[in-house]
Amino acid sequence: MKLLAPFGLLLSALAAVVYLDDTPPRADLVFVNSGEVFTLDPQRMSWIQDFRMAYALYEGLVRWNNADFSIEPAAAEWQTSADRLIYTFSIRPDARWSDGAPLTAHDYLYAWKRAILPDTAADYSNMFFVIAGARAFFRWRTEALEAFAAQSADLDPEDRAPAALALWKETQRQFDTIVGLKALDDSTLEVRLDRSRAYFLDLVAFGVFCPVYRPAVEGWRVDQATTEAIRLSGWAHVPPPAFADRRFVTLNSATGRLEQSHGWTKPRHLVTNGPYVLSHWRYKRGLQLRRNEHYHSPQRIRSDRIACISIEDINTAVMAFASGSVDWLTDVSVDYQADMLAERSAYENRYADRIKAALAAGSTLDEALAALPPPQKGERRNIHLFPAFGTDFYSFNCRPTLANGRPNPFADARVRRAFVASVNRKMLVETVTRLNEPVVTTLIPPGSIPGYRSPEGLPFDPESARAELESTGWADRDGDGLVENDQGELFPIVDLLYSTNTPRYKNISLALRDMWQRQLGVRVELRGKESKFFKEDLKSGHFMIGRGRWYGDYGDPTTFLDLFKTGDGNNDRGYSNPYVDELLERAASEPDPQRRLRILQDCERFLFQEDVPMLVLCQLVQVYMYEPGRLSGLSRHPRLTQYLWQIEVRDR
Amino acid sequence: MIRLIVRRLIQMPIILGAVYTITFSLAWLIPGNPLENPARRPPPEIMQAMLQQYRLDDPWTFYWDYLGKATGVSWLLGRHPRPFDLGPSLTHQDWTVNEILAAGLPVSITLGLGAILLACGIGLVAGVIGGIKPGSWADLATLGVALVGISLPSFVIGTALLVVFGLLLGVVPIGGWGRLSHTILPALTLALPFAAYIARLTRFGMIDELRADYVRTARAKGVPRRHIVLKHALKNAFLPVLSYLGPATAMAVTGSFVVEKIFAVPGIGTHFVNAVLSKDLTLIMGVVLVYSTLLILFNLLVDVLYRWVDPRIELG
Repeated sequence: MKLLAPFGLLLSALAAVVYLDDTPPRADLVFVNSGEVFTLDPQRMSWIQDFRMAYALYEGLVRWNNADFSIEPAAAEWQTSADRLIYTFSIRPDARWSDGAPLTAHDYLYAWKRAILPDTAADYSNMFFVIAGARAFFRWRTEALEAFAAQSADLDPEDRAPAALALWKETQRQFDTIVGLKALDDSTLEVRLDRSRAYFLDLVAFGVFCPVYRPAVEGWRVDQATTEAIRLSGWAHVPPPAFADRRFVTLNSATGRLEQSHGWTKPRHLVTNGPYVLSHWRYKRGLQLRRNEHYHSPQRIRSDRIACISIEDINTAVMAFASGSVDWLTDVSVDYQADMLAERSAYENRYADRIKAALAAGSTLDEALAALPPPQKGERRNIHLFPAFGTDFYSFNCRPTLANGRPNPFADARVRRAFVASVNRKMLVETVTRLNEPVVTTLIPPGSIPGYRSPEGLPFDPESARAELESTGWADRDGDGLVENDQGELFPIVDLLYSTNTPRYKNISLALRDMWQRQLGVRVELRGKESKFFKEDLKSGHFMIGRGRWYGDYGDPTTFLDLFKTGDGNNDRGYSNPYVDELLERAASEPDPQRRLRILQDCERFLFQEDVPMLVLCQLVQVYMYEPGRLSGLSRHPRLTQYLWQIEVRDR
Repeated sequence: MIRLIVRRLIQMPIILGAVYTITFSLAWLIPGNPLENPARRPPPEIMQAMLQQYRLDDPWTFYWDYLGKATGVSWLLGRHPRPFDLGPSLTHQDWTVNEILAAGLPVSITLGLGAILLACGIGLVAGVIGGIKPGSWADLATLGVALVGISLPSFVIGTALLVVFGLLLGVVPIGGWGRLSHTILPALTLALPFAAYIARLTRFGMIDELRADYVRTARAKGVPRRHIVLKHALKNAFLPVLSYLGPATAMAVTGSFVVEKIFAVPGIGTHFVNAVLSKDLTLIMGVVLVYSTLLILFNLLVDVLYRWVDPRIELG
């Protein structure tokens, strides 16, 4: 009995814990996000799953029409000056925060200032550097902080806090004088750019430009009268409380830095201006959104409640979907994904004629699928492949010498062209990845940017590949199937670097090795590394050919082409060509949008026909699971921005 | 007994300090940058500003700053508003490590204790059955099941259970946490390897004890068989199980990476792996410190229980 007593006690305690746990009610739309939501602070977001929440909770000044990615007004209308340097946004008068306070130009000014402030540690800060003076302000504050940290140790402890506050006030003054951002009145925001930027409005539609509500972000502790005044006319008309009365921000007196805690992004604290408000958020269990009663266009909202649940293991998520507890899976990257897609093809092939007829009659693919008889064994219609705004590629190391000091054969563009032309991309996507991704020969996914026409890159042509390699002096002189130079030395063993976090890159790398050995007669050695070590090697140029991928950030060719700029932080190839730099610079200073896009097209053509610093393979794809006809409102545009408020689940 | 407890409690900060230092050095040496999105690198000046904001530009400052805040020394000195502040998570930016542990630990503890209870139940019954008649079919069957329980990895057992009971039979929900039905499969999966080990320990203990002189005496006196097995032999056979239960409980309540991942349990087990993969320094340090503390306390608890159950034992 002595032994049983503790067990009995434990058992009843456990039962109580489980019993007392609360679970929110079932929502109208339940989906599994592409990963754990990291933050609901729009200025600090950098992951797709976070942005998906941002577009439901907040509303930017403008928004993409996610069918064609043209820009449409969201919280504001805009006007542009003749030289395209000044944008004036007029905020709609009925726009409100979820606590009823009016949305004003000060809200955007405040949010954007946060993003530019180094203290926020926002990794998209540089997107704001298109605003005149923003970069200069960022640098000024960084240097001022370094100087402050160096001096503050010598100050008396009591003098440090006032010094930090003085620096903070000076920072505000600097911002107002240096940065081209101004709230002309409560409803008008004026933005001055550093130079004409054709894609500026596309940036403004991006999640990091969403507004945040200052009294909530800083956790203002104010009296009832002030709260009423804020609700009536906005926080900009009341004096902000002292730092001691702000719950979520502190000025560190030793470093002078503004330190922000993120208590404000939790339910009960978070105030938003978008279609939804946050009703639940429990760590690793998921979050729930509820319709925002103060939203200005309620007719736009399709589902009253949305639940985003956390299931880390995709295998389990697929089972949860199959059991019917989830309506939409945003990531299906499991081993048997290709098999499920094959089942989908089998279904589509069986009804190919009926689908074609339905599409011709004007219905969407999902509607056409929904009207068909249910799939039989070995078929399915609930898995969907969406081409995305990104590209899979392998980078050539373009530096003159390798990390080990040896000469780099890939510094020669002809060698790179030979390696590109000997790759059969179609074979790769059909038999290696088995996802049938759209094959591409250039980096920017074709058709993804309005007004931009992609050039053609190098096609698969093993004959010319061998000729190209021979023209550099590498030829099979002794008939052993391997290429040598005129001194009889074999082509250096190609060091092919890939990351081992998914089997995808191992499989592609193996296939590439095979193709290059067969077509070109070179020896290739695979080097698979865990992703952290892989990234280190890539960064330091310790590779000859390394796998890579890139997703565009905004709707302009430069979001891809800037990768080839000399010295760009993401230029893993160490590529540098004055001609490319010059074309990019010329495009940046070209006022005519059409002509500008043509210059960029020339640049991409040169990059992928002549200089080929990378071997592009295919457009990246996103695989979703949902029942067609039951779930609707998803965008098929490659930029794949899904607005949760557009999505609807029928016959629940 | 008091001396034992006091001595262990004095040892604790020294052990924790060593654990902290070793973990910190290893974690700092992981290549990469916790603030970096794997897909994209921001310009160097922005990355530098981000590192400075989190004091990740200098290991020495970070080491002392974090140690002071985590132990509460900074709070005692009035330099920090809260004691035992494990800092903001570097990857889960909206959550502090304290919040993450506060959300995850109760879940892991519930699941872990449930699993240990199940494991004791299954393991003791199986062990006693086997131990009474070694070599019988019942013994061989339990031994076989124990072997499977130990050698089959939990992702196989877990997935199989999920497919059968979640998908095919539809009797338990898949993924999620909060209801009793959510806990059954993960607790069972987590319990099986422990149960198997306990069964083996009990079986061997029972075989030994049933051969002991006092059992023969009891039998000669005519004590009922049930009484001998449950009252006398099992009590002694339980001792090795008890010493195993200390580390086993510490292991179970700090969560299992595999079980939490498969069943989408919001515990802290996945952090032991994911935090390291993303080099989330504050989260790594936080879970390691909490885990070491729990391990030390559970071992102490078991030693105390040991004395209580078997007063012959001298603990130095």
